[in-house]
Amino acid sequence: MRILWYNKDMIYLDHAAATPVTQKALDAMLPYFTELFFNPSAPYLPAKHVREAYERAKDDIAHVIGAKGADLVITSGATESINLAFTASHGKVLVPTTEHAAVLEAAKNRNHGLINVDKTGLIQLDDLRSQLTDEVDLISVSLANNELGTIQPLAEVAEIVRTVRQNRLERGITMPLFLHTDASQALNLIEISVARLGVDLLTLNAAKCGGPKGVGALYVAHGIKLHPISFGGGQERGLRSGTENVPGVIGFATAATESKKHLAGNRKKYQEMSNYLRQVIKNPTETHSDAPIVAQNSEKVKHNLNSPTKSTQNSPAHSIPEPIFLGNPKKQLANFVPVCFPGLDAERLVYKLEAEGIFVSTGAACAANKGTKSHVLAAIGLSDEEIAGSLRISLGSTNTQDQIMNVAPKIVEIVRNEYIRLAERSLK
Amino acid sequence: MNKKVYLGMSGGVDSSVSAILLKEQGYDVTGVYMKNWSKDLPGMKCPWAEDLADAKRVAVGLDLDFEVWDFEEEYKKRVVDYMLAEFQKGRTPNPDVMCNEQIKFKLFYERAMERGADYIATGHYARVGSNLEGDFKKNDNTLSEPQFLLRAKDENKDQTYFLYRMSDQATAKTIFPVGNYTKPEIKQLATNHGLDVANKKESMGVCFVGEVGMKDFLREYLDTSPGEIRELETNQVLGYHDGAIFYTIGQRHGLYIGGGLPYYVVQKDLDRNLVYVSRNLNHESLWADELKIEDLHLRNGLTVAELTKITNLKVRLRHRAPLISASLVGEMKDSSVLSFNSPVKRPASGQSAVLYSGDICLGGGIIAK
Repeated sequence: MRILWYNKDMIYLDHAAATPVTQKALDAMLPYFTELFFNPSAPYLPAKHVREAYERAKDDIAHVIGAKGADLVITSGATESINLAFTASHGKVLVPTTEHAAVLEAAKNRNHGLINVDKTGLIQLDDLRSQLTDEVDLISVSLANNELGTIQPLAEVAEIVRTVRQNRLERGITMPLFLHTDASQALNLIEISVARLGVDLLTLNAAKCGGPKGVGALYVAHGIKLHPISFGGGQERGLRSGTENVPGVIGFATAATESKKHLAGNRKKYQEMSNYLRQVIKNPTETHSDAPIVAQNSEKVKHNLNSPTKSTQNSPAHSIPEPIFLGNPKKQLANFVPVCFPGLDAERLVYKLEAEGIFVSTGAACAANKGTKSHVLAAIGLSDEEIAGSLRISLGSTNTQDQIMNVAPKIVEIVRNEYIRLAERSLK
Repeated sequence: MNKKVYLGMSGGVDSSVSAILLKEQGYDVTGVYMKNWSKDLPGMKCPWAEDLADAKRVAVGLDLDFEVWDFEEEYKKRVVDYMLAEFQKGRTPNPDVMCNEQIKFKLFYERAMERGADYIATGHYARVGSNLEGDFKKNDNTLSEPQFLLRAKDENKDQTYFLYRMSDQATAKTIFPVGNYTKPEIKQLATNHGLDVANKKESMGVCFVGEVGMKDFLREYLDTSPGEIRELETNQVLGYHDGAIFYTIGQRHGLYIGGGLPYYVVQKDLDRNLVYVSRNLNHESLWADELKIEDLHLRNGLTVAELTKITNLKVRLRHRAPLISASLVGEMKDSSVLSFNSPVKRPASGQSAVLYSGDICLGGGIIAK
């Protein structure tokens, strides 16, 4: 897979925020901006061909999640898909506290309840069960969290939903119960099948898997009645009026198909790279004999550690606390390395790394930009200080092993220098 | 040990280069972003988060400590509420003057001193010094080493108009690192250091300052209603306005009336919500040979009596306006009269008249009606 990347020296470690459009997706999209610009609803033949290409693309997207094109509503992205999905509810919705702002805010506009998570971000199923009263008609649980990469036990949630439905049926209660999952973050890392997951509604986002921004989809199982949130010409089954975003959907389909094809290989690749990153970040002075390039780099790091340029006789090096890796190591997206450096200001790390051409984030991009602290990290019980010291590293298609070997000691060095700076500051 | 400086960093080019200059001069610098306002307004996104990120990026790049000091509550009380009250009285206040006096060179200064600062610094174009180039000599200096607020090297950028109310104590402890440079020199330094903010749009202080912003801001906070625009001489209704408080005497743009010769706002009747205009550019309300000045703030222990004796007194009636000769007459405690050799275009009441002798800023006051 060729990646369009304007500067090869840069190392991008924030794939959870955005991914570059793949060359294939771009190539597939381009004709639909120009020579194939026709409105798919127009009556003449070229327009009909565009309509056919559009429907094929929808089918392709649907096939990636084991559905049919007719089950999808194309939207402007995950946020719109989520808001549309929530129109299924006329009762109460339940969502975990760690959901993306789009889910939380959509929920807050309705009768809602928040489900607790454990300190790794996993939904607490007992809490879900206890809050699942008869007024609840929608549960929304992300497939994987966007800050921690924690993969939720969707199958178990679906099992609970089935049991409750059965129970309601037996008691003659007609209130339906639907399960929605926001799978935006997971499409290129987890095999998704709506049938196997047991979900009724599923949100996808093109921009997180090598497709263009501004395109998303909502899978809607048969028999679920949604309500449009905007009105017009009745496209997308009347649920999402407006001329179809043909190039966007073509790009989405190409990217989604591609990422499904490479899913297993990519997952393995990302897992190796993130394991390596964790190892170096956790044990900066150890050499990693399994790979010679790695060992060299680590020696360099070791040298830096033992003779910090600015340190005094009272070297603070020994007092550097261990990093805390966040999320659930057993149930985590392979490309996620969320890590807390206690006592540090992670924003400083972002700018220090940026100066080296390495791009990471402190949390969800939207929250980071508002200067507000991450609600996800607060929900898993991190203190304000720990939240301030947390970085989100998310690997992806732009990364190579060489890059990661290059980046790991740089992160270590920058982190170390920040601890030294703090220690010197406190001596003054 | 290196002298400790707390530098106000706004994310703009001037305070960013200030950080570079202070560090080069060997100071122990802590960058501080003063969070004064963060609310978005209709049609206007407050860029505070982006500004903060810009400031922090520069500070971290220089390995400086960086902090955010939240003055939002005090800013609302001391600057915004004052500003709104002034507008409601039909005046045109200057929030920058108030912000410098009340926030930057008071709260920020005090907090920095409590933290053990030797100095504070900001990215203003101004200078502080005891070297008198003007011919103002004060006989009974109470300060052992008087620190005067001096005009910037770059006359076109000089910001002492906004700073004249900062206290003598704060002045003596303030460094203006860019005051000895011109703006093009500062931009060049920023470019040389590879600062991303080198070509950033001029900072407006806070989001609602600026011609468009102010109106949107006032609409959000004050009840206004449409009213008539009348020609003063004929009392004829020429058009309608969206609230008399939005209009300033002398204003000629944004009236949307008539073609031909321009109309000027010459009078406002806030009680009846009327704006009076005239085509007579010589109308007396547009010009003044004297201005009544209130709320005088005199610097370095200067008295009104001493001020009246200064022969080379100059005054600035608007930011970047030329210095004009004037003399101070009358010795009343809370108001004085500035007299000019020839009539000046009358500034809006609520704006400041700032006094100079040579490079020294002597203080100033608020223009009364």
